[in-house]
Order: sequence, then C-alpha cells, then structure tokens
Amino acid sequence: MTDSADTAELRSTLRGFFEQHAPTRSQLADDPGQWKRLTTELGLTGLAVPEEQGGSGASYVELAVVLEEAGRSLLRAPLLSTAVAAVVLADSDAGDLLPPLLDGSMSAAFVVGDVTVDGDRLTGSVAQVVDAAAAGLLLVTVGDALYAVDAAAATIRSLEALDPTRPLAAVELDGASGRRVGDAAHALDLLHVALAAESVGAARAVLEMTVAYLTVREQFGRPLGSFQALRHRVADLTVELEAATSTVWYAARAAAERAPDLPVVAPLAKATATDAFTHIAGDAIQLHGGIGFTWEHDAHLYFKRAWTTALLHDDARTLRRTAFDRGTRG
Amino acid sequence: MSLADFRGEVQAWLRERLDGKFAAVVGTGGPGREHEHVEERKAWEQELARGGWVGLGWPRDAGGRGASIEEQVVFYEEYARAGGPGRINHLGEQLAGPTIAAFGTQEQKDRFLPGILQGTDIWCQGYSEPGAGSDLAAVRTTAVMREDGWHIDGQKVWTSLTQYADWCFVLARSDAGSERHRGLSYLLVPMRQPGVEVRPIVQLTGTSEFNEVFFDDAVTAADNVVGEPGAGWRVAMGTLAFERGVSTLGQQVGFAHDLDQVIAAAISSGAVEHDAVKDQIVEAWAGLQTLRHSALRTLNNDASSSTGVEANVSKLLWANWHQRLGELAMSVQGAAATVVDGDGFSPLQTMFLASRAGTIYGGSNEVQRNIIAERFWGLPKDRA
Repeated sequence: MTDSADTAELRSTLRGFFEQHAPTRSQLADDPGQWKRLTTELGLTGLAVPEEQGGSGASYVELAVVLEEAGRSLLRAPLLSTAVAAVVLADSDAGDLLPPLLDGSMSAAFVVGDVTVDGDRLTGSVAQVVDAAAAGLLLVTVGDALYAVDAAAATIRSLEALDPTRPLAAVELDGASGRRVGDAAHALDLLHVALAAESVGAARAVLEMTVAYLTVREQFGRPLGSFQALRHRVADLTVELEAATSTVWYAARAAAERAPDLPVVAPLAKATATDAFTHIAGDAIQLHGGIGFTWEHDAHLYFKRAWTTALLHDDARTLRRTAFDRGTRG
Repeated sequence: MSLADFRGEVQAWLRERLDGKFAAVVGTGGPGREHEHVEERKAWEQELARGGWVGLGWPRDAGGRGASIEEQVVFYEEYARAGGPGRINHLGEQLAGPTIAAFGTQEQKDRFLPGILQGTDIWCQGYSEPGAGSDLAAVRTTAVMREDGWHIDGQKVWTSLTQYADWCFVLARSDAGSERHRGLSYLLVPMRQPGVEVRPIVQLTGTSEFNEVFFDDAVTAADNVVGEPGAGWRVAMGTLAFERGVSTLGQQVGFAHDLDQVIAAAISSGAVEHDAVKDQIVEAWAGLQTLRHSALRTLNNDASSSTGVEANVSKLLWANWHQRLGELAMSVQGAAATVVDGDGFSPLQTMFLASRAGTIYGGSNEVQRNIIAERFWGLPKDRA
C-alpha cells in the first residue's frame, strides 16, 4: 500500500495496537475483549461509513490499510465482514441496521451461495460461511440481489475449520424473512477488495518473519540469507508481493472513488493477492526448514489462512476469468 | 490546459503526421526492427523536436517543456497508441540529456542540450564491456589526459543503436591503477572520428540493436568530462536513476498491442478453444493490468513512501511478463510457428525472440534480485 501522510499515521497506530493487544498467537480462540476494543475504542467497523450515519467518514483506502494491518495478525474477530457490511448498508436505504454494527454489539457475515427468494422469504443452504456463528446479521446474496437476514432466523452450525484463526459455519435458511438492501455484485466487489487487502498484509508479515529468520539462522558458518539461492527466492516473492500490493492499492482506490473499473479490478485484486499469499506462505514454511513444519510455529497459521482465503469466495482462476470477461467486454 | 485538451493536442499532432508525411515509420524500429527506416526515423526525431515533444519532461531551465508526470504519461500512451516508431535517440533524451542537465557545467549544457532537443545529435551509452557486464565497476577502458584532450582506449559492448550515434557517454578508468568504483570518469565522446570503430552484433533475432565499439586512441576535448575526473561512478549511477517510470506506461500500450496479436493468433489457430490456453491468455491479461497498477503506484510515490526498489521490481515484472508472452505467442500457433515465411521472422516470432533480451539488459534478473535482497531486506551479500 502506498501511504499518504494520513494513512501512514493510521497504519502506524494500528501496527502498534495489533502487536500489543491482538498478536497472531492470540487468534486461536475467541477474545471478546479484542472485539470490544476494535469497535468501541477504535471504531473500526464504521471507519468507512459517513459521519452523518455514525461512522468515521474515512474512505475504503483507509479501511484497506486497517485490514492489511489486521491481516498481519491473522485477526480472528469479524472485523472484515462487519466493516464491509457497514459500508454496504450505509450505501443502501437500510441505514437503520447500522448502529449495532458500529457500536460492536453485533457482527455481520456474508452468505454467498445458492439461496432462492420467494416474496421476501429466503431458502437455501450455504456450506462454508466466514464469521457466521457469531453474527447477528447475515447479508445474503440471491442472484444479483443482496438481502439482510436476522441471524436468529437462520440455522447456523459451527464447523471445525482448516484455518484455526478464522471461524466457519454452515448456514441454512428455510423461508427466513429477508429485506432487500442492494446489489450482490457491488457488495462482492467490496468484499473481494477487503480480502485482498487482508491477504497482502498477512503475506507481508509472514515474508518479514521469514527474512528475519534467514538473517539470524546460520548454517555452514554463515547466515542463511547470504546464500544466493535463498536471496533470489526472497526477491521473487518480494516482486510478487509488491505487484499484488499495487493492484490492491489500485482496487481500494477504485472502491473509494466508485470508479467504473471496480468490477474489473476487485476480482483481479483478490486473485493476485491470494496467489501471492499462498506462494509466500508456502515458501515461508520451506525457508524456515523443520521448525516451519511444527505446530508451535506461526508459519502454518499463515499458510492455512492463505489457502482458506484463496478458496473461499471464488478461487483465483475463476476470479481472473471474471475480471477478464468484464474488462474486455465491448 | 486540461489533461483532456492535452491528450487531444497530442493525438491531433501525431495523427496529422503519422497518417501523412511520416506514414512509413508507423510501427517500425521496435525490438528486432531497429534497422528499419533509419533515415526517416532521424527525420521523425527532428519533427518531434519541432513540435516541442522532445524533452517533454525536462525542466524548463534545461530547455525542456517541464510537463507534469500526468502529461508525460498521456504523451507516451498516445504515442504508442498511434504506432509511433522506436525512438532513435531515446538514450539522448532519456539518459544523456538529463545527466548533463543535472551534473554538467553551464558550458556543457549550452553545448550539448540543444542538439538533443532539436533531434540532431544521436547518443549512445558506453557502459558495458566484455569483462564488465553485470559487474559494471570492473570497467577497463582507459582515459588519459594529454595536451589535446582525453585519449580513450578500450572496448565497449552491448551498446544500443551505436551505429547511428553521433555521441557516446563513456565510463572509463582515468586514474591508472585505480580499482572498482574509484578512478572512473564520465566522458562525452564524439563517435565520428578515426579512433572509433563500431561493429554491429548480429543477435538471435537476425538483426542488430546492439554493437561492439572499439576505442583506439579516440579523442575528446578536455572539457568533455561530466563531474570531476575520477568521480564518474556517481554520475553513471545518476544516469541510471533517470530511467523513470513514465515511459513504462507507453511501453505497456505496446505490450497490450502484442497481447492483442497473441489473442488473434490463438483465435485463428483455434488454440483458444482449449481451457489451458484460455487460462494462459487470461493470466497474461491480468499480468498486464498489474504492470499498469505498479507503474501508477510508482509514479504516485514520493520519497517517504518509496520502497527504494520500485525500478528493480518493475524491471523483473515486465521483462518476465513479456518473455512469457513471447512463449505464449509461439505455443498458440503450434507447429505453424516453426516456419519462417517470406522475408523473415513474423512479428510474433520477432517478439518471441527479442523478448529474451529483456531479462538480461539494463541489469539482468539475477542482478535485480540481488539488489532487492540487499537494498530492501538488508540480507548479507553472498561471499561464496
């Protein structure tokens, strides 16, 4: 992310917050205290919501910075889902749903799958939904439309997730009452940009961790990082990360400005970012050697988050095709 | 003037000439096609100069137009879109001129900048040597000061478009017995003299962008040293820093044209029906979008937000991307790509072959990776 003076200060503040109050190791179990601080103390769920609707009036670029920093810690709390939901609702005529999301008394989840609507009754089951178990509000895509559903009206079953830092649940709707709150496509574009920002933040953190290890770990009487085979591998990962960061930055700006090419660059950003993240997290295990293969080391947490993010909400291949079709049409 | 007005002015100026008097040079002179229409492209350079398009981004006090980055981007994009030919003096405009403007004396600016701005003096770059490629500080060409000026002896290699050049900026060892970065001088040397011999290198494209240059008691005036004698390394590194991101956006318009040709070939051969080929085309397209986002990010950076390795990242990105596109260009044609028809290589064959140079020149991929490892991450040097 290219920082202006404002975003640099925001980033620095959040970097300190996450390192001190929400480090990676604290993400293996729910921590209501973290969520409370993120919402009531820092007001992050309403960061990109206009002030007149109770938010902080910052843009999607600032939200992307927050999510990059949250990604560094593999934040477990439903900040991403809830903050994106707040942006979507603030832009709809369902602003009355915002207050509990902004004050942290409720979190949201995006339910994307095969759901049908009959009148205002939604029916369908979605097998993997991020953050659903804790959510009070579900934003459900039905074809091109987006509906808000009270989570109490759904059957939600927690799942054991491959990624232990990101809760998953199965959601079943059986004639649940829904309220139309906007278009699915735009909401998914915003969600993709958010996931992309989180991914490049996490990828940067695990690459930094890896380089730090290569700098101190010695074999054959010299630091591992002095071996050209490893230096070049780090350089290639850096190129991939910087390239992905550029696309994420561009997409975040497009989201902030509602640019006409957002539908093209949003899926592209998630594809590019998760490609970089999966490659970097995979190589991080390799470059750490045996210690990187252990349960106690953090490398596998990044690896599992990377693959989970890549596979949820459409994989990179699908997203690139979507971007291509949208970008070259006409 | 608004940016849209500026774009309109650029388009109109280019269209009038490239649809008219200079129609012959459209699309010529690119990689693998440097030999095409040389005299017309020299005339074109002077036509550009008359239009005020040479030195567009140079500061006004150096005789340039002082155009904003956005305006420069517009110019390069429209130039590429209009099929403007390979610039025969891009080393003069992009490297020699800015270096002289930044490091030269007033006399040197008065002497050399007008020839570049008028498109009359063509420049080349004398850096690499047979023993000093990626390791530029191993330069062995010597410069000795005598009564009538500097006398230069040695060999340069991989010099671009030297066969057409009037002047060369040469990095030479002026302190006998000095080593590495110390004792080098940055000299401006006239090419049209008995002591200079240029031998074109026939490349795997069958054409000659690059040359060998032999200096055998070549002479240049005592005043033609930029910076202090013996302090040429700093000037040489300054030259490399002028390779800014602006022209890469124009380069990307050319890349988009290459990609369009590859897609057309894939449709024509039927290869596009295969899912795997479609994926490769989509990946190439996606890679090109990311190249653009990277260039825009670099242009918007200031000193505080710079990573310091944007140029190295960008070089690796585009050179690798273009090389993969060259390979895709061949594979979508299948066996038909193995035949050379008529006068020579097809545009896609030429692109495929010429793309092998991008990962070597201007700092090879391996050198770029070392720079990223050291400058961005502070990893220790490999001492093996």
